[in-house]
Amino acid sequence: MNVRALAAAVLVAALAVVAVGAGGAAGGSSANTLTVWLQVDAQSGWPEVVAAANAQFKAQNPGWDVDVQYQTWGTHLAKFDATLAGGNAPDVIEMGNTEMTKYSAAGAFQDLTAISFPNKSTWLQGLAASGRYGGKIFGVPYYAGSRVVTYRTDLFRAAGGKIPQSQNEFIALARKIGAKNKAKTFSPVYIAGTDWYVAMSFVYDYGGTIAVTRKGKWVGTLDKPAALAGLAAYKRFFNASSRAPAGSNESAPQPYDVMAHGNAASTYGPGWFTCCVGDYKNRVAQFVMPSHTKGQSIPGFLGGSDLAVPVGGDKDKAAAWISAFTDNASMTALRAKGNIPNTTSLLGTSVNERAARKSWFVPQSKNWVNVENGNVLRTMLQRILSGRSSIKDAASVASDNITYTLNQ
Amino acid sequence: MTVAAEATAHRSRRRPRSKRIAQASVPYLLILPVVVVITAILGYPLYKLVVLSFQQYGLAELIQAATSGAPAPWVGFDNYSSVLHDEVFWQVLLRTVIFTVANVALTIGLGTLIAFLLIRVSTWVRVPLTAALVLAWSMPAVVAVQIWLWMTNFENGVLNYVLTELHVGDYTGHDWYGSTFSKLAMVTLLIVWGAIPFVTITVYAGLAQVPRELVEAAEIDGAGPVRVFRDVTFPILKPIFLILTSLSIIWDFGVFTQPYLLIGSSAVDTTNYLMGVYVFIEGYAHSDFGRGAAISLLMLLIISVLSVFYVRRMVKMGEAS
Repeated sequence: MNVRALAAAVLVAALAVVAVGAGGAAGGSSANTLTVWLQVDAQSGWPEVVAAANAQFKAQNPGWDVDVQYQTWGTHLAKFDATLAGGNAPDVIEMGNTEMTKYSAAGAFQDLTAISFPNKSTWLQGLAASGRYGGKIFGVPYYAGSRVVTYRTDLFRAAGGKIPQSQNEFIALARKIGAKNKAKTFSPVYIAGTDWYVAMSFVYDYGGTIAVTRKGKWVGTLDKPAALAGLAAYKRFFNASSRAPAGSNESAPQPYDVMAHGNAASTYGPGWFTCCVGDYKNRVAQFVMPSHTKGQSIPGFLGGSDLAVPVGGDKDKAAAWISAFTDNASMTALRAKGNIPNTTSLLGTSVNERAARKSWFVPQSKNWVNVENGNVLRTMLQRILSGRSSIKDAASVASDNITYTLNQ
Repeated sequence: MTVAAEATAHRSRRRPRSKRIAQASVPYLLILPVVVVITAILGYPLYKLVVLSFQQYGLAELIQAATSGAPAPWVGFDNYSSVLHDEVFWQVLLRTVIFTVANVALTIGLGTLIAFLLIRVSTWVRVPLTAALVLAWSMPAVVAVQIWLWMTNFENGVLNYVLTELHVGDYTGHDWYGSTFSKLAMVTLLIVWGAIPFVTITVYAGLAQVPRELVEAAEIDGAGPVRVFRDVTFPILKPIFLILTSLSIIWDFGVFTQPYLLIGSSAVDTTNYLMGVYVFIEGYAHSDFGRGAAISLLMLLIISVLSVFYVRRMVKMGEAS
């Protein structure tokens, strides 16, 4: 074989590899299978609730099967778009409450207004609002989650710490815990640098906001004095308590994994984090994150999910599965896992539910999800924490970007 | 000459001509099925992409098209002009060109050096080395990314541990993805690592074709290794380098998997987008498929220009020497 023939052979081989790489696997559901997309949170946190709902649905709908496919927050929307275009969208999809508006506005979901779901009259107001668009119901509230501090009781006790009643008390306690645990990867309070759910809680705690509407237009407000004070407080708190890199995010590594590795005395995140702290399971407890004002709690992000029925699927069967998955038995089980149930009739006074009394939510614009996808807030936080730019400069850039994106 | 003889002469002249035409058309007939298949699987999507780039095609249009078949509105060159007037596009383009040049140069350079190493070493070393190269080449990009993320994890990654134990410095808790440069440098490492085997094995196969006596003659005339490579080996292997470099440019310019997964969906932003990621974010994450199509066609145009420029240069270099 001469050199030219070899070159040609290489080209053919390379093209073959590309062609093989391009051939993707396509999923599809058979006639009597209900395809359900849930987030992995359900898989790691409450798989038995999913199994119970499936069993109930199958008992009530003989001949039907349920195919639950677990998704991750970062990629499920792109996959969803592709299935919408291909006509093989799932029958039920879990949507983050910040993602609902864009898809409801675009007509991606079936109208569920006429269906009588369990506890419909007592749904959590804030969560139910995210599932409504133009006076119609497109999303059934699934569960909400406030954010609380999950902490190691042994390490807090060793530092002589009572539950802190203000941010300054918490910072002082974090320093004490840090002095007793000097490893460079050990965080007294593990917070990922770009965890904007935490950072924005500080912004709202100081009276700031992300964006407001003025004369029908969105205006980014992170560069206003109150928001800047909140960002400064976040930087102060982060520097005193967390050893996470400035550019880290709250999904890699998961904060509960950091606790399970023994690398954190506490973390501020969703209430169900106690599920997965490994060997420390019997040595963790939770409290409400304090405000900078003594005796008060910080406004937490009220995260939550809705269950929606994409266009093209069997609406009645999908609604039947959703009913099974959101009935009193399921909600009681979800509540036991540290979540906030979708109905006020089951609300109690757990730490999670107390934390939910003061909450904030993202600007309700159909373009908000583009701010999230563009990582506008995360970029700002990395710049601030790494000291690469001043708080004011980073906040102005982010604020202009938000104004532009929301008004598109 | 009799009439019969004349007719025979005519026939004998005519027959070879029709035979020649038949012979000439055989290659085209043989290639026809392939051309038809390629036109169907590449041409049709390309046509759809061009149409898409002239439409306002967002999430609402997508759902309408899937449910009622309503066509999306035609907007002419709006998508193109909005992309070309976006300074982010030009920043991403410049970043991607620099990234591509660095990646291709490292891949071809290191790959060639390892190919020379393969010739020099004994069979006992060559066989395991080749096996390792093939394994690295056959590792799916997604799997490789997960392993790299695990190794470079700031909390308990093996890289920080080893560097600290070897007293290179205290790397405990070091973040390998702290700045834009370090993010793209990690992506470069991963891509070059994955692409070297292909280059090495191909160049190694090519080196086996270089006549030994030519190299020896040059060496007797006093040429050093660099001179031998420049004036003997490289000119002979030029078709191979041409193909390898063109393919590497095409792959690295549009690379998506490694940068998107290694940097992570929650850290890709306008300061570190490469072209492939930029198209994905604009087209899919923002659900603006028309604009995404316009960007990918611009990419196609740029990559064609780059390739043609490069191939012409290589061919000219060959004529000059």
